[in-house]
Formats: sequence, C-alpha cells, structure tokens
Amino acid sequence: MTKQPFLSVRGIRKSFGDVEVLHGVDLDAAPGSVLALLGENGAGKSTLVRVIAGDLHPDAGEIALDGTPHDIRDVATARRLGIRLIYQEISDAPPLTVAENIVLGAWPTRRGFVRNGETRATARRVLGELGVDLPLDSPVGSLRLGERQTVEIARALAGQGRCLIFDEPTAALSDAETERLFEVINGLRGRGVSILYITHRLDEVFRLADEVCVLRDGHIVLHDKVSAVGKDQVVEAMVGRTVERRRRGRDLTAPDGGLPAAGPAAQGPPSDGGSPASGELPAGGDSAAGGGPVLVELAGARSGDAFADVDLAVRAGEIVTLYGKVGSGASEVAEAIFGMHPVDGGTLTVEGRRARFRHPADAIAAGIGCLPGDRQREAMFRSRSVAENLAAPTWRSIARAGTFLTRRSEAVAYGRWHDTLRIRSRNDPEQQIWTLSGGNQQKVVLGRWLERGSRILVLVEPTRGVDVGARQEIYRAIRSLAGRGSAIVVATSDYEDVVELADRAIVMVRGRTVAEFTGDAITVEALTQAAGGVINA
Amino acid sequence: MPEDTTLSESSHAPASPDGNGPGTGAGRTSGTSTATVSGKTSRTTGKGATGDGRAAGPRKRRVPETIGLLVFLAAEIVFFSVQSPYFFNWDNWGNILTAVSITGVLAAAGTLLLVAGQFDLSVGSGVAFVGIVLVETAPDLGLGPALLLSVLAGVGIGLLNGFLVTVVGVNALITTLGMLGIFRGLTLVIGKGQSIFIEGFDWATARPFLGIPMPAVVLVVVVVLFYVLMHYTVFGRKMYAIGANPVAARLVGIRVNRTIFAGFLLSGACMALAGLLVTSQLGSSSANTGVGLELAVVTAVILGGTSLSGGTGTIFGTVVGLLIVGVLSNGLTLLNVDSSWQQVATGVLLILAVAVDRLRQTYLRKAG
Repeated sequence: MTKQPFLSVRGIRKSFGDVEVLHGVDLDAAPGSVLALLGENGAGKSTLVRVIAGDLHPDAGEIALDGTPHDIRDVATARRLGIRLIYQEISDAPPLTVAENIVLGAWPTRRGFVRNGETRATARRVLGELGVDLPLDSPVGSLRLGERQTVEIARALAGQGRCLIFDEPTAALSDAETERLFEVINGLRGRGVSILYITHRLDEVFRLADEVCVLRDGHIVLHDKVSAVGKDQVVEAMVGRTVERRRRGRDLTAPDGGLPAAGPAAQGPPSDGGSPASGELPAGGDSAAGGGPVLVELAGARSGDAFADVDLAVRAGEIVTLYGKVGSGASEVAEAIFGMHPVDGGTLTVEGRRARFRHPADAIAAGIGCLPGDRQREAMFRSRSVAENLAAPTWRSIARAGTFLTRRSEAVAYGRWHDTLRIRSRNDPEQQIWTLSGGNQQKVVLGRWLERGSRILVLVEPTRGVDVGARQEIYRAIRSLAGRGSAIVVATSDYEDVVELADRAIVMVRGRTVAEFTGDAITVEALTQAAGGVINA
Repeated sequence: MPEDTTLSESSHAPASPDGNGPGTGAGRTSGTSTATVSGKTSRTTGKGATGDGRAAGPRKRRVPETIGLLVFLAAEIVFFSVQSPYFFNWDNWGNILTAVSITGVLAAAGTLLLVAGQFDLSVGSGVAFVGIVLVETAPDLGLGPALLLSVLAGVGIGLLNGFLVTVVGVNALITTLGMLGIFRGLTLVIGKGQSIFIEGFDWATARPFLGIPMPAVVLVVVVVLFYVLMHYTVFGRKMYAIGANPVAARLVGIRVNRTIFAGFLLSGACMALAGLLVTSQLGSSSANTGVGLELAVVTAVILGGTSLSGGTGTIFGTVVGLLIVGVLSNGLTLLNVDSSWQQVATGVLLILAVAVDRLRQTYLRKAG
C-alpha cells in the first residue's frame, strides 16, 4: 500500500448477544481505490460496514480517518466525516420525489428554510454525473427497483463523500445499469474517493477492484492486491477448510427411519385421490432420486421480473436445491411453486396435472407445503402456542365435522411430531412459539407439513438464523422426508445447505439458471464460481 | 440473533392448576408469558411441566393474565357493597347486566374482529339504523316483515363493511368510521329526528326465569356462542392466526379476506340483535339511539386485554372489561354521582387499565 489510507480500521470487535460476529478486524482503504469485500453469508461483512458507517457501535477497536481517530457515534457523525453507506435494501422515502430523496437528510437550506430550487439543481447535477435521466419530480415509489437503487447511490454522491460503501449494489440492477454504476465508481476513484465494495460476484471483483479483502467467520483471511491473487485463491479463502468435512455429510443421507407415518391429515391431496409413490420407494434416500415419479415440474417458467426460462423437475424422494444469492430468483421460483407468485409464462405441473395456483391454499390442497424464507414475518404466529402453530394447515381435518376444534386435538397433532423432529421444548403444546430457539421454531414450521402429509415440500432458506446443532437436525429431518418419498425443493443462498442436502443443485443468477450439478460434482467451489458468474462446470 | 439459549427459559410453565373459574379463558397471550389461550391448559400442560423438572418457575407467571383486571373488579364490588346497601343483591346484578347487554352483544363481535386486527366502529350507528328501520316499517308491513328487514339492515351494514375492507381494501378503521357517519345520517333522514314508538315489541322487558331480565339472558347466550366460536372452532383459530400474522396466515392456506369478511358479517348480525334489543327495551327508536356505543365497545374489549394489534384476547377478558365498566357506572349511580363524572371515571379507567398493563408487560419482559 503506497498511499496513506483514508480510512483505517483497527481491532474492531462486535457481538450480538453472546455471539461475537467480528473478532478484531483491521482494514485500510486508500483514497482513489476500490476495495472489494467478500465473504459468505454471516461472515460479518455487513456488520463491519455498518460499524464503519456509524449504524452499529463496535464493542472494541478504533476507526481513524486520515490518521485521526474518530468516535463514530451515529450515522450523522459518519456522514459529516464523509462516510456514506449505500444499503443493499432500498431505504428511500417512496412518497417523496426523486429530487427530494437525493437530498434527503442534507437539505440545502438558508436560514432554516429548505431551498427547493437548489434541491433540484443538486439532484440534476448528481444524476448528470451518474449519466442517468430520471424524472426529478416523480415519487420514488413509482420507479423500478434498479432506478431506485440509482437514486440511493445519487443520494450518497450528493454530499461530499470521501468514503463510499456499497453493499451488493448490483443485486437488483440490470446489466446496463450495472455497467453505468461501474463507470460511476471508476469516476469516483479518479476523484480520490475511497470505495468499499461488498459483493458476492467474483467477476465484479476482478473487473472493478484494486484490492480484495475476504472475511470469514469474523476474521480477515485474505487481503491483497487483486492483481496478485487468482480466483481460486479467493474462493478458497471464502470457503475455508470446512469444505471436506461438510462434503462428508452427504454420506449420512440414509433415512434413519425416525419419521413415522403422517397424522390423520395425511390422506394425500384431496384433489388427487392416490398417492402413487408412497409404497414403491426404496429405503435409501439417495438411490430414490433416480426412480420416483416426477411430482413437480416447471417448464419454461417465468414470473414477472423475478425469474424466466426456468426448467425444473423434482421426483419423489429427490432433493433439488436452487442456489443463488439475493435477487437471483431462487427463492422466487420456490415460492411460485407454492402459489405465492403467479407463473406468468411456461407451465407448472404438480403430480401430472397442470396447476395454476391463485393462493397458497390451492398449492396446499394440491399437496405442497412451504417453509418460507423469513420465519418471523412469514411463518410464525408469535403470540400463539406451538400446537396451534403446528396444526394451522390441518385444522379443518382434525376438527370434528370440520368445524369444532379442541386444544387437545391440536396437542395430539403436536405430540406426534415433537419427539420425531426433536423439538426442544417443554413438550408443552401450549408453550408460545416465540419462546423456542430459532432452530426449534423452524422444526415446528416443518412439522406443519408433516402433519398435513404434504408430498411436495418447498423450503426457502431452511437454516437461516439457526444454530449449528439445530442445523444438522433440520438436515436430518429433510433427508428423512426425502427418504419417505417427498419431493423437496430447497431455495438457498447458503452453500452448506446445498452440499448437505442436494441430489441435484441448480445455480441461479439474475433470474436464470446458469449451472446444474449432480452428485459428487456438487462442491462449494463449483457453486461459488457458478453463482459468481464464472461458469466452468 | 437466534435465541439459542431459550431452552433453559422454559421454566415458566403455565401450569395453572385452575383449568376452571377465572383461569378459563383468561389467557391474555400478549407475548409476555404464559400460553393459555382458552385456559384449557389442563391435562397435557401439567404433564409437560412436571416432567421438565424446571417447572417450578416464578409463581407470578402462572396467574392468569387478566388477574389484574379481576382484582380490580373485585375491589370495585367490595367498595360499592360497603358503600351502598342496594349494590350487592340479585336485582341489582340484573340491572348491571341489562345495562351492559347492548354493549356486550356488540363487544363479543368486537373481540372477534379485534383478535384478527380489525375494528368495527360503525356499530353505534348500525344499532340506531336497525332500530329505525324496525319502527318505521312495522306499522305498515307488520312486525314479522319489519323484523326481517331490520335484521337484513344490520347484516347489510356488516356486508358493506366486509366488502369495503376485504374486496376494495379500505382500512377497517376508515371504512367503519365512514359507515358510522353514513348510517347516523341515514337514521336521521329516515326518522326525521323524531322518537318513534313501536307497539307489541316488548319482549326484552320480560324476565323469563328467576327474575333475570331478558337482555341479560341474551347477553349470556351471545357470550357463550362467541366463546365457543372463538375457542373451539376452526373459524376462531383462523381469526387469531390472521391477527397474529396475516402473511403467515395466508401461507398456511387461510383465505384471509374471506375470513375477515365473515367476521364483519357476524358483527353486522350482532348490530341487528343489539338494535332489536334496544328498541324493545325502550319501546321506541330515534336518531340518538346508540350514540357513542362504539367507544363503549372498544373500551370493554381493550380493557379486557385484547391487543390492539390483534392475535391475542379472549371473550372472558371482554366480559371482565364489560363488568368493570358496568359495575363502576352502576355503583356511581347508586352513590348519586353525576353521570357526567361517570364518563370522566370511565375514561380514566380505560387509560389507567391499559397503562398498568403496559407497565406490567414491560416489567415481565425484563424479568424474563
């Protein structure tokens, strides 16, 4: 490093609760250079940049700008010092206009009054620098996602930013928008701005960055000039030594017979009398992959802007994973199978029948169950009991005359799965679900579909927010479900899920499938490279 | 952050040994502690808790969540019994129940709706509208057809509310506030501001058995029906689920809009019943019938511990809330306190009860 760094971070530590996420991180960012920050989910990238931007307060460590230590107490302080973080999630004010959003928080004023003319002038200047033409007076909420992202960037540029931090800025951008962003970043570099650039995409690193820095489990494991490292080296640094150990997990796939037959609700989908494959499956989970009938199939499927041209067929007893980062469309494909998004083009076929789901209830009736990606928001009835949470999709079938329901019938349903799924709780059906740990909550949600007897399961980020032990148990449960003849689709951004579970792994980037691996070809390296836009499989 | 250590927190088993009396239905699952919703924790709970060995937990968490309100109600009763010789006797309890019957019938449906995160503020006007339809049409059409029409009017208002909230997608608060104005106005138009009398419609003044007034009987029947509906039917579970998390409700296959629609229809039906009840009690109806009822209903429901954001709350709690207001107002009347001051007292009570509850929850959360 030849130049004196603008930003210098030393020994940053940060814990959430009892978990330390950053274990003493050192980082330097020189003016007029782009530092790419890489790492798997949960490596601590976002935490690190939020600390730098004043959004989180570090437990220990020091941040210096131009050699002077600063206590960055809040975002306002960071902004005053010239640090701007452009969040991955859009954080604009939708009803306000483009111009107002660009000066948000830094309104040009005279004697306390906002000068609207200057607002527009600033907005026009910044958008001009970015080379984009957006209607200044339109509400931001009316723009497309990529355009809103551009407004976010424009806001960061509006002030005199000396250090800009981008958190996966291209996830929501089209190719053209990405190109323009790169030009802007190159321009900023020329003006001597320090740029921290978080990404999952290796091709972007090698196109754009001067230096690369890899975080793993809260440590910096690689920090070097981009010209001095190769792709393989970066991937290896991201993935670490855990690869082999995790690969071995696949061999344990044989179902342990832990899962008994489903409850009384498991008479199969009402729309389809028989359950064609339940008896004829071989016991081994892996070997089943080839033989079972196709239970769910997408052909040339498209849904809005989320994904297009997706072909996918999942057999009974098979686990197919859709691997992709945020915005890749992987979770949307899974959700479309469950009726959460319309399939606008192509076809969805479930157990040999063409399906058009208008509501998840239709999908459930057709024998599909879903573990949504955002457990808190999409799956849990926080204030209700575990039994109620588990029995929810099955209420009608366990109720007398389809109407009258007792706590006891729910408790019986819960009891069926409590031990099987190894839900760690008091074994009290009335316990409120929020008192369980994340992993156990997830098991309750999984139990829903076991009780319901769903033969097709769509799991989105099944191990998100789940600790290591529970993770293995969730894998175990998913494998034995496959062993019993369920067709399972897992959409995930966590390669460990793929390596542990997949019979077949499909990688998605920007709404398209880009690679498919089976069996031993499913390696972390292959997945990471494919998802990073480097397809050499 | 995942609550990995939560397992050890499982100490606060709601092993309330009651399973009856105050405990039943007292589960105010406000996201704080015990899990009893309908209070039926009995069999399985006991087993799980004792099997755990850690079930000894802090005692204070085992009490039903409405305990504070029950204590308050008891204090009220003791106070007024001491202060007035006329308070604690059979007839006066009939009076109290009669006084809260209209509010109570509406509050039953109000609880069901609020549990799903929905409001119906149109009830006050709805009751008046039902009444005016009845008294206006009865002389010409005869009582039977008039009754049918007025019931249809009530259900129709519910239907309209449900349509606007679930199909058009207008917020329930706005919808029913608008309907409150519309039907108060229509009642004035139809009744021309007059008090109109009705003959031969005095069933609500009867005392069918043990000297219990008819409105009290109606109240009890409605409360029992809603108790069963909310705690022992799939529909009730769905309403709780929708209030607890509408997104998740959709993803377990609940047709959220249909279910809420049905809730508004039931609220309309309760409006019709309350309208018939009040008209029969007074022997007349006017444009001033039921003014402010919506606030009395909300007071009872909130006082009874139903969360404003939905997902928790019980009919039992609402009954307690209803009685707290009813006893207070009855007692103050017996003590010759001016009715204006009674309104002040009711307002203070509402804020006090909810404020105390908030503080208690904050305290429990810290303690947990």
